[in-house]
Amino acid sequence: MTNLLSLEQVSKTFTRGGLLSRHRIDAVKNVSFSIEKNVPEIFAIIGESGSGKTTLARMILGMQTVSGGRLLFDGKPVGGQTRLQRMAFMANVQPIFQNPFEAFNPLKKVDYYLYLTAMRFGGADNQTSAEYAVDAALKQVGLSLSEVRGRFPHEMSGGQLQRVAIARALVSKPKLIIADEPVSMVDASLRMSIVNLFGELRDRLGLSIIYITHDLATAYYISDRLIIMQKGEIVEAGNARAVLSNPQHPYSRQLRDAVLLPEVTNSIPLNEQGETL
Amino acid sequence: MKDGPILRVENLKAHFKTNYFGVHREVPAVDDISFDIGRNEIFGLAGESSSGKTTLMKTIAGLIAPPLELIGGHAQFSFMPVQTNLYKADPALLAKIRWRKLSYIMQGSMNVLNPLRKIRAIFSDFAAIHMPGPKDEFEEKVTSHLARLRLEPTVLDAYPHELSGGMRQRVTIALATICKPDFIIADEPTTALDVIVQKEVLGMIRSVQREMGSSVLFVTHDMGVHASLTDRLGILYAGCLVETGRTKDVFDKPMHPYTRHLIHSLPRIGDTIQRTSLTGTPPNLANPPSGCRFHPRCPIATSICSVEKPILRQFSDGRRVACHAVTGDPA
Repeated sequence: MTNLLSLEQVSKTFTRGGLLSRHRIDAVKNVSFSIEKNVPEIFAIIGESGSGKTTLARMILGMQTVSGGRLLFDGKPVGGQTRLQRMAFMANVQPIFQNPFEAFNPLKKVDYYLYLTAMRFGGADNQTSAEYAVDAALKQVGLSLSEVRGRFPHEMSGGQLQRVAIARALVSKPKLIIADEPVSMVDASLRMSIVNLFGELRDRLGLSIIYITHDLATAYYISDRLIIMQKGEIVEAGNARAVLSNPQHPYSRQLRDAVLLPEVTNSIPLNEQGETL
Repeated sequence: MKDGPILRVENLKAHFKTNYFGVHREVPAVDDISFDIGRNEIFGLAGESSSGKTTLMKTIAGLIAPPLELIGGHAQFSFMPVQTNLYKADPALLAKIRWRKLSYIMQGSMNVLNPLRKIRAIFSDFAAIHMPGPKDEFEEKVTSHLARLRLEPTVLDAYPHELSGGMRQRVTIALATICKPDFIIADEPTTALDVIVQKEVLGMIRSVQREMGSSVLFVTHDMGVHASLTDRLGILYAGCLVETGRTKDVFDKPMHPYTRHLIHSLPRIGDTIQRTSLTGTPPNLANPPSGCRFHPRCPIATSICSVEKPILRQFSDGRRVACHAVTGDPA
C-alpha cells in the first residue's frame, strides 16, 4: 500500500507585522491525510473562507513552502529539489482554478496555452504532436480542437472555458488534480456538467481529484471522502456521504444546517399570510 | 393606494446600444418584462449570469446610463406620481424618495463602504440627510438599528476593513434599511458570504423586512436562497421572464422546462440520483435565438418554438408561464 499523496502534521504559519508587533497566523494546523495510489477518488476539502483550504491546496501544488510536518507526493517531497524533479512533479499534479476567465490570458488564443502545456509537460516536441495531445485532452472533456482553435477566452462561455481549463490540466496526463472551487463561477445550468465530468474522469482515467469547495451539496453528490476544516484544523473526516448525512462535530453540523435546500422549508420564517399578490 | 402593488413593471424594455466605427450593435438585455410586487412581499428574481438580472434592477432603479437605453415600458412605484419613470424624474423629487422610499443593497460590501471613513461617518454620509433632527437623536437611531442586526455600537468606530465580511454586509443592510424604506432592492447581497453567515444575514433581512413592512426585490442566482427567503419568484432567461408565481408553487410544480431543469439539477444532501445538465450554452444576448430564446436547449421544443416567441400567459394562482408546451394548469 503506497500513498500517492500523504500529509503528515502539515502546518503553515504566516507572520505579519514588523519587529515589535509580530503577529502569527496559523493558516493550516497539523493536517494529516493521504490519498492512496491506484485507488482513484474524489477527495473533498470543505470549509468556509479563512479555513485554510486554499493555503493547503497551494502547499500541495508546491506553490508555498510548508512550515511544519511532511508533505509527500509519491514518496518524495512535493515540488522536487531540482528543476527536472520539479517539472516531473508539475506534470503529475495539475491545478484547476476558480475563475477560468482569470486563468487564461485574455489577449492570447485559448489553444496557444494548451500547446504550451503540451510542449512543456505533455512530451510533445513539435506542433503536430502537440495538436494531437491537445485534441486528445479536449476529447476527454467533451470538446474538440476544431471547436477551440483560434478562439479567445471571451468568445467562450464560462462552462466551456472551465472545460478547456480541465482539458489543459489533463494534457500532461497527471495523477492528481487539485480543483479549487471549480464550479462557483460557472452558470447554474452548466454546473452539474462540470461536476459530472469529474466523476467521469475519475472512473475513466483513474485520476484522483482534490475538490475544494464550500458547497456541501455538490461535495455530497460527487466526492468519495472528505475533510471539513475550521480555522486551519480538520474537525471531521471520513466517507463523504456518511459524514454529511450524520455530522458529529458541532461545526460540521452547523455547516450542514446552514445549507439552504432547494425546497420551500421553514428554515427562515416565511410569510404567514403567504399570499400578498 | 394601500392595496395596489408597490411596484408595477409593464413591458419594460432596455437595450444596450453601441455604435462604433459604423458597426451598430444592439443587445436586448431586458426584453418586454412585466410583473408586480405587492406590499410587504419579498419578490425573488433568479437567473444565471448574463440573463439580464442586474440590468433589470438598474432599469427599475432608474440607473440608466449609456450604452443602456430605455426602449419602452415603465416601472411605476406607487410612491411616485403616476406615469413617471425614476430616471427622468426631477432631482428634487428623487432626493426626497431616495433612501426614505427606495434603497439598494449592493453585492460587494467592500465596494460600497468608503475604506477611508469610519462606519459612523459612513452612516452620516448616507443617511443623515434623509433623517432630519438633532445629531444625538440620529446617533441613537443608528445604534438601535444596528442592535436590530445584532451589531455592537462599537462597530461605529471601526473602519470597514476591520470588520469581517458578514459584519460588513450587515452594515450595508443596516444602511439600506435605517430610513425604513418602502422598497428595497437587493442585488446578490449574500453571494460573497459563507453559508453559515449567509443564513444569518438572510434571517436578518427577513426579520427587518417583516418589522418594517417593506417590499424587497431580491436578486440572486442561488435557488436555495430563493426557496428559503422569497414569497414570490420570477425566473429570467436571456432577458425574458419565463415564469413567475408563488415560490412554493414554482418549487413544487415548475412549469417552464428551464425552471424545471434549474430546480431538478440541484444536488441535495441525502439524495444520490444522477443529476444532468442542459446541453448547449446560455445564448449570446447580442444575437438571441429566434422564437423562444430557450428552444435550442429545450428538451421538449417543437417546430413552433423556433418561430414564435411565447407570451407570458396567466394560469391559476397568479402563476404566469411563457412556454408553448404548457397548456393547462399544473395537475
